[in-house]
Amino acid sequence: MKKRILVVDDEVAMTRMVKLNLEQTGNYEVRTENKGRLAIDAAREFRPDLMLLDIMMPGVTGDEIAAQIKQDPSLSNIKFIFVTAIVTRDETDDSAADIGGNIFLAKPVKAQELIETIERVLAS
Amino acid sequence: MLAVVTSTACAQPGLVLSDEEQAWLQRHSVIRLSPDPNFAPVEWFNQHDDYSGVSSDYARLLEQRLGIRFEIVRGKNWKDVLSLVKVGEADALSAIVQTPEREQFLAFSQPYFRLKRAVFSNRPLERINSLDDLKGHKIAVVEGSWMDETLTGKANMSINRFQDLATALIATSLGVTDVTGSAFDTMAFTRRDEGLTNLRLVGELPHDIPLSFAVSRTLAPLAPILDKALASITPAEAAQIRSRWVEIGEPPFWDRPVYRYTALGLLTLLLAGMAVVIIWNRMLNARVRERSQQLQDAQAQLIHAEKMESIGRLSAGVAHEVKNPLAIIQMGADYLSQVMTPGGGVGEVIADIDDAVHRADQVIKGLLDFSHDDELELKPGDINAVVEDSLRLVGHEFRQRDIQVETELAPALPPVAMDANRIQQVLINILMNAAQAMENAGRVRICSGLGENTPNLENYLFPAGESVLRLTIADNGSGISEENLAKLFDPFFTTKPVGAGTGLGLSVSRNIIELHGGKLGICNAPGGGAQVTIEFRLEAGEKL
Repeated sequence: MKKRILVVDDEVAMTRMVKLNLEQTGNYEVRTENKGRLAIDAAREFRPDLMLLDIMMPGVTGDEIAAQIKQDPSLSNIKFIFVTAIVTRDETDDSAADIGGNIFLAKPVKAQELIETIERVLAS
Repeated sequence: MLAVVTSTACAQPGLVLSDEEQAWLQRHSVIRLSPDPNFAPVEWFNQHDDYSGVSSDYARLLEQRLGIRFEIVRGKNWKDVLSLVKVGEADALSAIVQTPEREQFLAFSQPYFRLKRAVFSNRPLERINSLDDLKGHKIAVVEGSWMDETLTGKANMSINRFQDLATALIATSLGVTDVTGSAFDTMAFTRRDEGLTNLRLVGELPHDIPLSFAVSRTLAPLAPILDKALASITPAEAAQIRSRWVEIGEPPFWDRPVYRYTALGLLTLLLAGMAVVIIWNRMLNARVRERSQQLQDAQAQLIHAEKMESIGRLSAGVAHEVKNPLAIIQMGADYLSQVMTPGGGVGEVIADIDDAVHRADQVIKGLLDFSHDDELELKPGDINAVVEDSLRLVGHEFRQRDIQVETELAPALPPVAMDANRIQQVLINILMNAAQAMENAGRVRICSGLGENTPNLENYLFPAGESVLRLTIADNGSGISEENLAKLFDPFFTTKPVGAGTGLGLSVSRNIIELHGGKLGICNAPGGGAQVTIEFRLEAGEKL
């Protein structure tokens, strides 16, 4: 059964590229959302196993979305990976960094690295 | 019977001595003369103990005219001088007023010199114009003087007798007596000589003091001979003597001690004031120069800081905006590499895109260092350990370029409060710059140690007198041109080929060192090549 991934980023092209790369593996069912404030509704509707969240988005930040979802018992199983431009690759040590219990990936991230991180997080 | 002057006397028109007189002089060719030792300027003994004053000049003229010699007999004071004549130890006196009392044991010449009588006091008194005006005042006089004899016996006179005029005037100056009465010229002379600047003329008494020569009664025939000789002295000679010894009236103001001391004091104050002004002026100039330099330095630092802050702020925004499209490009390239059939150059295109994204990401990383450069995690650390770690990290690059590394790291250096990762970033940056500046087979020398900055130390960063931990990294490359030295720390300044460097490394490095309270400088080493110096100021407890 394919894992569900919800990609939230205000960059339409970014969500499209992530979706294409993930679907190319055949292992994931991917939905994208470009408006941060609609991300929670999308999560309730789509019930993803994992959310890829940008942090700096108009109106709401990725970590605020994650915090609200974590407070909803019906969505408590969702895992998060933050894919953001506000950290450098040095800070994530060339791989996903666990910062305060959250996994961070620095843009630009290679597709292979993203997929490996998703697999690791879903397996944990 | 009259005869012309004796052969022993100098020829002098108008001087005619009788035979008896000449004979008498031949029998008495030496006359013992006892001048008043304290009656300047009329007569006294100067600092060389020579008989001086008006009477001495007259006595010398008399010696010449009469062919006699005055043998000087020293008395202690006026009273003593009178006693010497009375007891026969002296024959003559040279400046004495004729009085009935004195006529009993002295024979007098005609007066040859006159002095005005005056009264001096240390405070303003009503003008004293007569002896009666002295009533009610304590009067200081020289014991045995004509003034003493004049006042003695007068009613209501409070007479205080002193051995000499100087003592009498001092008594008045100190207020022991109210006034001193004597000859004006002698009092004026003594006042100046003794520095009794508070004494002033408060009155003149009628009748001048007529001074004569006097001889013991036993030598009475000498008196008329002296009269003849004194009469032969011309008015011109007399005027010359007077002008030589006696001032007319008060001394000029510039000759008064009070004026001299005041002028000297004012001059000293003026010179001291000028010296203070000159020194103050020089100190001010030095401070102005120092402050101007500090201002220029502060301005330069401010401009640099503003520039860095602007770049930092701009960089953070730009980095965020650029990293998103880079991420899209990266993901796009990754997708294409999966879906496109290899061949026809597709693989190379994808690799080029990957490389371009990586390079752009490196530039972004450098830019972001500006926005993060005030965040340090300071811990005490060993600078030598950071040097060795950094050398390990650049080891591969150095080996590829065949660069030799020499280290001279001082043992047991005090720990430095530092963010080891940021210091490592600085060292790697400097080492990589050195590697890129040298042709193959270059040499890098790294030294660490403690030192005290001295004025003659070249290229020191902290001021002289500071104790520092110093790290130097020197290469044997081509060095840095003077033109480029000034721009090294400007952001985006680079001498590397396009794509090989962002031009941010050194400015970031300097910022990092300055955040640690240290300094970073670059110069050309004396033996060629460039040298980077990093200094950390030692804490008080670690001073050398």
